[in-house]
Amino acid sequence: MTAALIGFGIVLVLVLIRMPIVFAMGFVGTLGFAYERGGSIFDERGMKAAMSMVGRQITDTAQDYGLSVVPLFILMGLFVNKGGMAKELYAVSNAFLGHMRGGIAMATVAACGGFSAICGSSLATAATMSKVAMPEMRRYGYHDSLSTASIAAGGTLGILIPPSVILVIYGLLTETSIGKLFMAGIIPGILGIFFYLLAVRWTVWRKPESGPAGEKHGWGERISALKSVWAVLLLFFLVIGGLYGAFDFAPLNLTFSPTEAAGMGAMGAFLIALSRGGLTISSTFEVLKETALTAASLFAVLIGAQIFSNFINLAGLPEALIAMVTAYEVSPFVVILMILGIYIILGCVFESLSMLLLTVPIFFPLVTSLGYDPIWFGIVVVVVTEISLITPPVGLNVFILRGVVGNVSTGTIFRGVTPFWIADIFRLALIVLVPIVVLYLPNQMGAMGH
Amino acid sequence: MKALVDLGRTLQRAPVYLACVALFTLMVMTFCDVILRSVFNAPIEAATELTRILMAIMVFSVLPVVSGHGSHISVDLTDPWFDYMRLHNVRDGLVSLACGVMLWWPIQRVWILAERARDYGDVTEYLGIPTFYIGWFIAASTAVTALVLILTGILYFVAPKLLENRT
Repeated sequence: MTAALIGFGIVLVLVLIRMPIVFAMGFVGTLGFAYERGGSIFDERGMKAAMSMVGRQITDTAQDYGLSVVPLFILMGLFVNKGGMAKELYAVSNAFLGHMRGGIAMATVAACGGFSAICGSSLATAATMSKVAMPEMRRYGYHDSLSTASIAAGGTLGILIPPSVILVIYGLLTETSIGKLFMAGIIPGILGIFFYLLAVRWTVWRKPESGPAGEKHGWGERISALKSVWAVLLLFFLVIGGLYGAFDFAPLNLTFSPTEAAGMGAMGAFLIALSRGGLTISSTFEVLKETALTAASLFAVLIGAQIFSNFINLAGLPEALIAMVTAYEVSPFVVILMILGIYIILGCVFESLSMLLLTVPIFFPLVTSLGYDPIWFGIVVVVVTEISLITPPVGLNVFILRGVVGNVSTGTIFRGVTPFWIADIFRLALIVLVPIVVLYLPNQMGAMGH
Repeated sequence: MKALVDLGRTLQRAPVYLACVALFTLMVMTFCDVILRSVFNAPIEAATELTRILMAIMVFSVLPVVSGHGSHISVDLTDPWFDYMRLHNVRDGLVSLACGVMLWWPIQRVWILAERARDYGDVTEYLGIPTFYIGWFIAASTAVTALVLILTGILYFVAPKLLENRT
């Protein structure tokens, strides 16, 4: 227990002097493992056991079949982007919502939600949507605080609405079904869109001049806008439906494993982008290159986290925490509240993936031993992570926005984000208090014979 | 020094191309596997093992490139302070050297595992590909990664200007 806490402290220090997370966690995890096995970090037998664990972890992780979803889903998001679908999604939501007061910001939120359904990263969603939505909102005289905030907040949906890279990493770290995690993200994601729409309404109710109404679009325009996004919708239903088992009937008998769903999604996105003339050989190469580099850094970090997690488990930190909770007779719900508090505090300073990698190995065994559902906890963690993306001082999505948009201060964006942040806290409370919101879809999926 | 950096930039193209080909193959193969299985009831039996191999190729061929670009996932919380103290090059140099050196042990271990697989004659299930090739590849590319990290670390001390705009 003491060794684990010291190890955790050293990782924090190393990470803060900007050592890449993979090396910080791998280094401490290896030495800690050797210490636990041999009684000292210089013990030869302990070191041998540790190196053997590290060697296996490196070779096995790189060849883990389940991990192939990571590059394939990243690939899908990037190809979709090349097909110009962000713009079309935005046009559709604008046609339906733009005429209301604050409507263009509402359309932005809705389009972010739609884009999240094909992209698994919050940062990518925010970066893409800001290029599309920001000029439009400026044209209609929207205040920068509202327009940037709606993109920063809307972008966070990227990691909740499937596919989601963060959910995949959670699933792999905890050996939880990725398919079920994806299903579980859908309803909280839709709730997220709904709550953000309310946040926009609240902002324009307080300050009507911050978000004037746009033009009204007739039904003809709406239908024709809708026609342009059919491909995206189809792709989403193919991928998610296949995972859910919706096509599992004769003669099709089509059910996807997460890897297959990701492969179909990537290929589908590739074909759509190709058919729209959005791809050349060199841009295809760029997409593949970006995917490979991103995936490699994710894999590296995962190897480090697993090495560290092996040490934490060997040192008995989870058991010690469970014993502590039992000894003090803390009610499970209070434990959850404490964990959420820790996440919100960590979220103020840590970037989402680092936070997940550092905390899940410690909290997950505790939470599941208290009888909570692993799928539910995954969604809770992701929602808290989403909140961290827009929490000052290190809300990463806010920084992305400032980077892409320019001439807006971080302060302005954070001020605009406040109602969205409060909406997020309400959503978190709802998910924690009413777990069925999360678990309904994955439970249905179980009933369909998975 | 500059020649070394330029050489690195040229050399990185080959592994990047290799990773791109592996990734594209993985995508097309997964797609074909699903179609063949559902429509013709004839799945690609070797798909799983090929997926594993292609993933290892993709990840480990670009690992040295990721390290050379300095694009490993890290926390930049204390950057303003280090910048202010003008210590960022010293810090990055030391961290990079340390990371490179600490890879020495895992490289050895992965190599030993690969050699053991060679002794046992381990092969993949359907295609009978000897698994030690993958182990060799992983060990070799980790070694290149270590080398890149150490060289980058040295450059931080002797010629930090050359490390700007690395991607």
